[in-house]
Amino acid sequence: MNRVFAVARAVVSDAIRRRLVWIVVLFSLVLAASIPMLPSYGVGVAEAVYREIALAMTYVAAMVVTLVLSVARIPGEVERRTVYSVLARDVRRWEYVLGTWLGIVLTLGAATLAFGAIIFGVGWVMYGEPMWLLWQGVAAIWMEAGIIAALCVAVSTVTLPVIVAIAALAFLFIAHVRADLLGGPQNPLWHVYPSLDAFNIIAPVAHGSGVSLMYLATMTAVFAAWVAMLTLLGALGFSRRDL
Amino acid sequence: MADMKPVPAIRIERAEKRYGGAAGFTAVSDVSLTVSPGSIHGLLGPNGAGKTTTLKMLLGLVRPSGGDFEILGEPAGPAVRARVGFLPEQPYFSPLLTAGELLMLHGRLSGMSASDVSARTSTLLARVGLEGREDTRLAKYSRGMLQRIGIAQALVAAPEVVVLDEPASGLDPVGQRDVRDLMMGLAEDGTTVLLSSHQLSEVEAVCDEVTILNHGKVAAEGAIDDLLNVAGRTSVRARGTATTLPADVQSLMEDVAVSGGVWVFSVPDSAVRAVVDILDDNGWAIEAILPKRQSLEEYFGRMLDESRTVAEEQAVSR
Repeated sequence: MNRVFAVARAVVSDAIRRRLVWIVVLFSLVLAASIPMLPSYGVGVAEAVYREIALAMTYVAAMVVTLVLSVARIPGEVERRTVYSVLARDVRRWEYVLGTWLGIVLTLGAATLAFGAIIFGVGWVMYGEPMWLLWQGVAAIWMEAGIIAALCVAVSTVTLPVIVAIAALAFLFIAHVRADLLGGPQNPLWHVYPSLDAFNIIAPVAHGSGVSLMYLATMTAVFAAWVAMLTLLGALGFSRRDL
Repeated sequence: MADMKPVPAIRIERAEKRYGGAAGFTAVSDVSLTVSPGSIHGLLGPNGAGKTTTLKMLLGLVRPSGGDFEILGEPAGPAVRARVGFLPEQPYFSPLLTAGELLMLHGRLSGMSASDVSARTSTLLARVGLEGREDTRLAKYSRGMLQRIGIAQALVAAPEVVVLDEPASGLDPVGQRDVRDLMMGLAEDGTTVLLSSHQLSEVEAVCDEVTILNHGKVAAEGAIDDLLNVAGRTSVRARGTATTLPADVQSLMEDVAVSGGVWVFSVPDSAVRAVVDILDDNGWAIEAILPKRQSLEEYFGRMLDESRTVAEEQAVSR
């Protein structure tokens, strides 16, 4: 696993030095600070509206960072031939794919942690109470971003960045319209449909109920299953590719 | 007891790479080469000859369509590649990294501890002429400096085999000389070097053996002296004050070059004694008598011309 971590470390180090990630974080800070300045909400719902907008903003920012970090990572390394001197060593293709994903998801972790800290801090300052439930929403967003990163990495092992971006956006759309398309669990396709709805917990967090520990554990298992499947596909695709 | 032959550092047997199925094209066909341990082996060929594809198959970057690949006596898989260093042609590294960070990454990928990489970094940078540049971002490196740091990353784990694809590309004459010295130093230390290069003078200066590829096939191979020595002719170097050589010598000589009263020419081996006697009798000083040797450039050019002629004849006959 040392080689996986070495690749991941290189990805994190490279990503941290790209200013775009931190510009997005800074932009989020400005947006979060401006949410309470929106026109007056009804009494008692101001906090809920804040949580909903803050999480929605975190979601968008996390997805932007995910796409920026993952869409062109492997194609760029192949195009610039940086990957040659890595894979000519004792590094398996699957280790490279897994390390790349791990590096992206760790960077995303740092970025979503920063987003979370911003919206948590602003919420506390503006409303005088620590909104601990926000962290549930942040964790769900990070996991969903991790799945999208795994998808991008998998697709990018065999195709161009523009197609990866289109595939990621299409998947994001498809994965959130299961209820609209299939109605409910009575539809036989419901359980095989690729859905990420499990990670959309903005509403319960915004309205103060949050989700149970069991739900969080299930969500984590779904996350692990998605990532395992996509990373495996990415490793298979990359292992068959001539560089 | 039978003689034990040393295990070749690199052995490629009947390598083949086809692209695009039956209707596609063959980039490499039936290429075999053996590199002796501790030697510098040159891999030559014009653009598109299949050099880089062969190297990539050896290093697992391209999947071979056929053939066997061995490094240090083991199948050329990831495990044995821990003992190999590779410099790709025109290497590119993240400009956001410093030289120290790049070497740390590649050292860690090769299974070295962070402290081992750190201990080796300054020595390695000095060896490639980048001393004191450890903390400089690669964005500030010139083309030649990137080439040097590329060589350093190939050597970071003290590999037993080094594969260099155009290592002198982008270097000035001093840099090219440094790379030559570096390769010869590696060979002296027992490291095997497989060098793919367009720079024939570089290959001729450092390589013990060469394999020449053309159209994806081995066009020639062997010890460089065997390839370049011209059978049946001897080169004579003589100094004299006369403006012409004696008539008896003129009738035998070929490939004449004159500079500052020094004449260099070749004669048939059978005529060497007679030519020396004639020159001696006429007051000429003999400076050297050596087997006639063509330059690698001459050999390479002639071989490509012959290959082109054969291809044209085949096309006409069809």
